[in-house]
Amino acid sequence: MVTVTINVNGEKRTASVPPETTLLRLLRDDFNLTGSKLGCDVGDCGACTVIVDGKAVNSCLMLAAQADGRDVLTIEGLATMDRLHPIQKAFEKYASLQCGFCGPGVIMSAKALLDENPDPTVQEIRDALGGNLCRCTGYVKMIEAIQDAARILRDEPVEINR
Amino acid sequence: MDKKPTVAEKVSPLKTVQETPSVLREPVIAPLVTYPIEVVVPEVRQQTPAVGQRATRLDGHLHGLGQTRYIDDLSFPGMLYAKIKRAGVASARIKSIDTKEAEAMQGVMAVVTGKDVPCNSFGPSLKDQPVLAYERVFHAGDGVAAVAAVTEQIAAEALEKIKVDYEVLTPVLDPLESLKLETPGVHAPSANIYQSKIIKKGDIEKGFAASDHIIEGHFRTQMVEHVPLEPHATIAMWDPNGRVTIYSTLGRITLGRADVARTLGIPVSRIRIVATIVGGNFGGKNEITTEPVLALLSKKTGRPVKSVFTRPDEFIASTTRHPLIMDYKTGVTKDGKIQARKIRLVLDGGAYCSWSETTLGKACILSAGPYNIDNLYAEAYVVYTNKTMTGAMRGFGAPQVCFAYESHMDDIAALLNMDPLDIRLINVFSEGSLSPTGQTLQSVAIKESLLQAAKRFGWNGKGSADAGANLLAEENANTNMVRA
Repeated sequence: MVTVTINVNGEKRTASVPPETTLLRLLRDDFNLTGSKLGCDVGDCGACTVIVDGKAVNSCLMLAAQADGRDVLTIEGLATMDRLHPIQKAFEKYASLQCGFCGPGVIMSAKALLDENPDPTVQEIRDALGGNLCRCTGYVKMIEAIQDAARILRDEPVEINR
Repeated sequence: MDKKPTVAEKVSPLKTVQETPSVLREPVIAPLVTYPIEVVVPEVRQQTPAVGQRATRLDGHLHGLGQTRYIDDLSFPGMLYAKIKRAGVASARIKSIDTKEAEAMQGVMAVVTGKDVPCNSFGPSLKDQPVLAYERVFHAGDGVAAVAAVTEQIAAEALEKIKVDYEVLTPVLDPLESLKLETPGVHAPSANIYQSKIIKKGDIEKGFAASDHIIEGHFRTQMVEHVPLEPHATIAMWDPNGRVTIYSTLGRITLGRADVARTLGIPVSRIRIVATIVGGNFGGKNEITTEPVLALLSKKTGRPVKSVFTRPDEFIASTTRHPLIMDYKTGVTKDGKIQARKIRLVLDGGAYCSWSETTLGKACILSAGPYNIDNLYAEAYVVYTNKTMTGAMRGFGAPQVCFAYESHMDDIAALLNMDPLDIRLINVFSEGSLSPTGQTLQSVAIKESLLQAAKRFGWNGKGSADAGANLLAEENANTNMVRA
């Protein structure tokens, strides 16, 4: 067993887990943060995407012990008591998710992108979502929502085509 | 050496207890709610305009917060994890299954095989699918044994300890081979052709005689897996009163209850299926898979049992889209009017019937396309092969035949040196047209739709290459619009 301490969503949490435990299993099974999903377990689908030290990673490919002492942000850490994160708000507004299973991963990839690049082009958004698969809705509404969120985060006025 | 041997400093157990970091004592519970809780009240009995409106989803809020509970996000006290051992061989006779070593493993609570299933067959129409393969394996994804253990890891290790002795048989893999009478039956003594449909309209011989050109086309489509992002998942809980509660990703729970009742040999009234939010279905979750197995494991252990398909399980052990082999023969006059069409469809049905009956019917009825054809003969057969079973998937056979008849129409247009749009306008259904099965069609707007579409993307009538370039330009314009 290894003892792992990570700073998850701003809170220091510790667990003692078998060494083969992935970061995804640690988050889901030990910390009950079930927002990150297990879709393929081999790093293809991106449903498990979380942000580790500012970078989007597939948490099913990272061992829990590798995340020891690092900052991890999951979908549960995005909203505050007062408001949703602009990306979450935009995804809701644009109905970017249908079954929703890929959503937490997509939103975390988008968050990592916008933290680094506040004004991404469509191509840059597509590249950032390259590791996230969706089987229901497609990516157009997601791209629209991310552009919308980017404008809000840049404090630009937003118009919605209704 | 007069040095005294050192002795470890005595630490009172109490001190050890006191020094344990308090974080390790915290129970495993999710942190407090950190998001605004909004109660969404749907507008009841209020007609809302739909067309042209941007629609949002009531569940979109929870999806975005990561708070939607799919089955893998649920757990119950004492819950066990189940894994299923797949045959890995397309066709075989099972000589023996030895589960002793797996059962002896620490952490393994129960093992079941086909002999433990009260009624080992189910299916939406033909009841030809075993819950767990027993005596015979019909495709590589057949489950042969299932294990429930305290962790997923132990369950996976236990699968490797199960020894199955197979007498490997020659599989039937090609649907055209399977169609031949001399090919041994996959489910002998049953024939390999397990469903067929023939549609006759007019007289094709007369139609071909009245044609200036006769064109043949041969088309094939491949097997497609639904790949829902959420794999098939189930939790079963058998209670001491002999009732079972099943949380399942199943889309058709009423049908599922009937199948579970049949396979477990208990009345439907003792089965409760809870349909949770599903992470993608697309037709792939239309029938039971491991539900009875989990119920049996739960009955054997007295504990809730959960199982989630691995991605490989999803590909080899769930239903897929039927591959079709489609032969078309069409007679046309030199000005493009279709006089007769003859079609043969062979559906690769895989190892079990599943939703083949529906798929076969729909594919056959739609195989002539939305065209007025007075003389038509369409025949469709679905055959068993030793491959992953094929079942429902978006469209039930309609996309496959659409690929064939529209490709065939393009071939005809090319032969006649006609605009592909014109040949369709000449032949498409109009108000009051008769469908291949004799139904009078109403509210038909194909001609208008085609003309509108051609206008919108600037169809210039010169053929598909230019049309493709136009479409691309259109897409780029749209992308720029999104950017602006």
